Amino acid sequence: MKKRIALMLLAGAMVVSCLSGCGVKSTSDTDQNGEKQKLYVVNWKDYGSDDADFIAAFEEANNCEIVNTYMSSEEELLTKLRTAKDGEIDVCLPNCSILPAAIEEGLLKEVDSSKLENFEKMFDRFKEQPECIKDGKLYAVPFVWGSTAIAYNTNLIKEAPTSINALFDPQYAGKITFRDDYNDAVMTAALVTGQDANNPKDMDAIKAKLLEQKKLNKTYWKTGDEFSKLFASEQISIGMMWSGQAAFMKQEGQPIAYVVPEDGAIGWVDNWGIAKGSQNEELAYKFIDWMISRDFQYNWAVNGGPAPVNQEAADSLDPEYAAGAGMDETSLNRLTFMQYRTDEVKQTWNELWTEVKSSK
Amino acid sequence: MNNYKKWLTAPGTLTLLVFAVAPLFIMLFYSFRNDSGVGFTLQNYVRFFEKSFYLKLTGRTVISSLTVTVISLLISYPLAYIMAKKLKGIRNIVLMLIIIPFFTNQLVRVYSWLIFLQDGGVLEEMLNVLGMAQDGLGILYTRTAVVISLVHIFFPYMVITIYIALERIDNALLEASKSLGASAVTTFFRVTLPMSWSGVVSGILLVFVPCLGCFVEPRILGGVDGMFIGNVIEDQFFEIYGWNFGAAIAFLLFAMVLVAMALIHRMGGEKQ
Amino acid sequence: MKNGALSKLYILGILLFLYTPIFVLMLMSFNESRYNTLPFVFSLKWYEALKDNTTLMTAMNNSLYIAFVTGICCVILGTLFVLGSQVISGKWKGLFSSMMVMPLSIPWLIMGLSLLLMIRAFQMDKNMFFVFAGHIIISLPYSVLVLQARIQALDSALDEASASLGANALTTFRRITLPMLAPAMVAGGFLSFMMSFDNFVISYFLIPAGITTLPIEIQSSIKFGFTPEINAVSTLIIGISLVCLAVVGAIMGSSLKSIFNGGKA
Repeated sequence: MKKRIALMLLAGAMVVSCLSGCGVKSTSDTDQNGEKQKLYVVNWKDYGSDDADFIAAFEEANNCEIVNTYMSSEEELLTKLRTAKDGEIDVCLPNCSILPAAIEEGLLKEVDSSKLENFEKMFDRFKEQPECIKDGKLYAVPFVWGSTAIAYNTNLIKEAPTSINALFDPQYAGKITFRDDYNDAVMTAALVTGQDANNPKDMDAIKAKLLEQKKLNKTYWKTGDEFSKLFASEQISIGMMWSGQAAFMKQEGQPIAYVVPEDGAIGWVDNWGIAKGSQNEELAYKFIDWMISRDFQYNWAVNGGPAPVNQEAADSLDPEYAAGAGMDETSLNRLTFMQYRTDEVKQTWNELWTEVKSSK
Repeated sequence: MNNYKKWLTAPGTLTLLVFAVAPLFIMLFYSFRNDSGVGFTLQNYVRFFEKSFYLKLTGRTVISSLTVTVISLLISYPLAYIMAKKLKGIRNIVLMLIIIPFFTNQLVRVYSWLIFLQDGGVLEEMLNVLGMAQDGLGILYTRTAVVISLVHIFFPYMVITIYIALERIDNALLEASKSLGASAVTTFFRVTLPMSWSGVVSGILLVFVPCLGCFVEPRILGGVDGMFIGNVIEDQFFEIYGWNFGAAIAFLLFAMVLVAMALIHRMGGEKQ
Repeated sequence: MKNGALSKLYILGILLFLYTPIFVLMLMSFNESRYNTLPFVFSLKWYEALKDNTTLMTAMNNSLYIAFVTGICCVILGTLFVLGSQVISGKWKGLFSSMMVMPLSIPWLIMGLSLLLMIRAFQMDKNMFFVFAGHIIISLPYSVLVLQARIQALDSALDEASASLGANALTTFRRITLPMLAPAMVAGGFLSFMMSFDNFVISYFLIPAGITTLPIEIQSSIKFGFTPEINAVSTLIIGISLVCLAVVGAIMGSSLKSIFNGGKA
C-alpha cells in the first residue's frame, strides 16, 4: 500500500512539473528552426535590445537566431553568470553597479575593441570607462546612458532651475517630489553638500540635508507612473526625474522641461559583456557592434530610448530634442556616473535613507 | 480499511511541509548567516535592535494595523448584526455585494483610491459640487490614506465571520432573555456578544495579521511618512540584496504574527 | 419601522464606501484621459487598445492558466486531505488541520520571501515550479475549509450503510461520497482559483524574468505608465467574476459562506 501511495505522489509531482513547464507563455518564445546558430542573450524585457524589429533584422543579416532570457535585477544577472554552463550565455547586459564584481570574479571575457567597427565612434568618456577596465584590459562595452536630474512644469515655473539645489528649495515647498531611492537620495544630497557623490565622507551632513528636504515634499515617488500622474494633475511643479521619461512625457504634450543643472546630477550606463563560457564569440561581437552602431542608437534615441554612446548618433539628433532629453554633450559632461558599491556601502546608504524616511 | 485511508492526508500535508514549513526554517537559517557567507552570527538581529528607527517603524506598523482592525470592527459588527437579525429578503443579496469586491485586483483598488483621494480628484470634485469647496484635500500621501485603503480591503472578511457567528444564534434565546426582563443592552452584552465572540476573534485575525505584512499600499498611498516595516523587508530583498538582514527582519515580523495570534486566540478562549 | 430605515441607510453607507473605488475604476476606464484626470470625457478607446495589447493578453492567459492549475491541484489535495482526516483523531488531527490553514494567517510577504530563500538555498534559478508551489500553498486553505465544512455535515452513517450493503470502499466513494462532495469541490476550487488569479505578492517574489501574470503586469504598468487599459481589463474581470459567482452560487449557495465558518479561530 505504501508503495502505491509513494508512486501516486511521484506521479502527482511529475504532472505538476510537466504542467509548470508548458502552457505558460514566456514572451521570449521564438520559433525553433533547424540548424541556425543561436546567440544567447541575457536582456532586459521591453528594452531596445529586445525589440522585435531589431531581432528580425539581425537574424536576417547574420542567418542566426537570438534567444533572449530576461533578468529582473542586476543581482539576478550575476547569479545567472555564476551558475551558467559553457555555451548557455553569450552576451549579457550588466550596468556599472555590478560590472566590477563580474569582472573580478572572471565571469566575462576580455573584449578586443579592434573587432568592433563602431567602438571608435563612441564618446571618449565611454571608450575608457573605468568600470569596464581591469589591469588595462577591456571587459565590457558601454551601450546607452541616462541621467536622473530635475524636471519641472513650464507653466508653473517660468525660470529654469540652474542648480540641483532647486530640489531643496523652500520656495517650492509642498510642490516637490523626490525619488524614493537610497542611491539617488544620497548621491543628490552629496552633490548639494559639495561632496564627491560616489564617495561622500560626511554622512551626517547628507542626513541633515535629506531631513530638511523631506518637509518640502508632496510625496516621494517610486515608479515612473506615480511621477507622471503627480505631474499631470499639477500636484507637483518640480521633481527629481529620469531623462528618458521626461522626454516621453514631453512627446505626450505635457508642459515638462528637463534640466541637468550646472552643478551636476546622477548618471548611469548600461554595458554589453561577453560571458566567460560563450562558444559564439564571433556572433557576439557582431551583436555588440550592431548595438553601438549609429543607426540603431539613433533610432532608439528618437523613439523615447536612453542616450546614445555613439557620438555620430548623438550628433544626428535634433539639438533641441537632445538638450530637452538631457542627451547632449553639455549634459553628459555635468554628470557624476554611478559607480560600483560594496554591499557594506549599500547597507549604510540604505539605512541612512530608511532613517530619514522613518523620522517625523 | 481506515489504516490506509489516513494516508490520503499525506499529499496535502507533505506539500505544506515542504513548501510552507521548510521555507520558514530556511528563512530562520538565513537570518543567522554572516554577510561574508561563513559561520553564524547574531549580528543581523543586533543591528535591528541597535537602531531606534527600525523599532519606531515596527511600532508605527503595529499601531496602524490596530487602527485598521478597530475601525473594521466598528464598521463590521453593526453591519453583520443588521444582516443577521434585521434583514430578511435581501440578506443574501447584501452578502453577495460584500463578497464581490474580493474579485477585483487589490493593486487596482489601491490605485482607485489614489485617483479618488488626490488633490483635484474625484472626491474634491464631488465636495465642490456639494458646495463644500476645499482646495487641496491633503488626504492622499498620509497614513490616513493607507488606513482607509486597508480598511476597505480587509473589513469584508470581518463582516462575514461575524455574520456567520451571529446567524447561528437562535433567536429564541434572545426572546427568552427579553422575556426574563433583560433590557436590549443587557441582552446584547450578556447573550449576543459572547455568543458571536468567535466570529469577532477570527475577524480580528483575518484583518490584523495581513496588515502587519503589507507593503504595497503604504508605498503607493503613504507619502513621505507612510512606510511600514514590510517596506524595509521589500527593500532588503529587491533593492540591496541584503538577504540575511532581510530574513532577520522577516523572522521578527513572523514572531510578531505568532504572538499576535496567540493573544487573539486567548481572547477567544476566555470569552467562549 | 424607523429603526429598519436606519439600518438600511447604514448598509447603504457601507456599500457606498465599499463600491466607491470600484466605481471610480470602472468610470475611468471610459474616460479619455491617460492620466485619469478630470474632467470626464467618454471614450471607448481603452477597450479598443486592449484588443491590440498582446502583453496584457499574454499576462491574462498566464494568470488564467496558473490559477486553473492551482485550482485543480487544490481541489485534489484538499479532497484527499479531508477524506483522510476523517479517520484521524486526537492530537494529530488538530495539528494537521491547523497546519493546513496556517498559510491563511501568515502574511504573504513572508510566504513569498521564504520560498525565494529556499530557491536561493538550493542555488536554483527562479522557475515556474515554485510559482505553482507558492500559489498552491496560499490557495489550498480555501479549498480545505469549504470541503471540511461540507464533509462534517455529511452523515458517516451513509458510508457504513453502503459498506454493510457490500459496496467496497471505492464504490462507496464513487457513488456516495463524491457526488455529495462535488458542490463543495466546485466552490472550493473556484475560491482557490480566484485567490491565485489575483495574487500579486507570491508571483512578485517568485516569477522568472520574462514571464508575466496579470497582477505583475499591473504592477509594472504602475512602474512604466499605468494606462486606463488596466481599468478596462479590471472592469471586464469584475463582469466575468460576477457571472462565475452567480453560477457557483447557484451550484452551492451555502458553501461560500462556510469557508469563513470553518475558519473560526
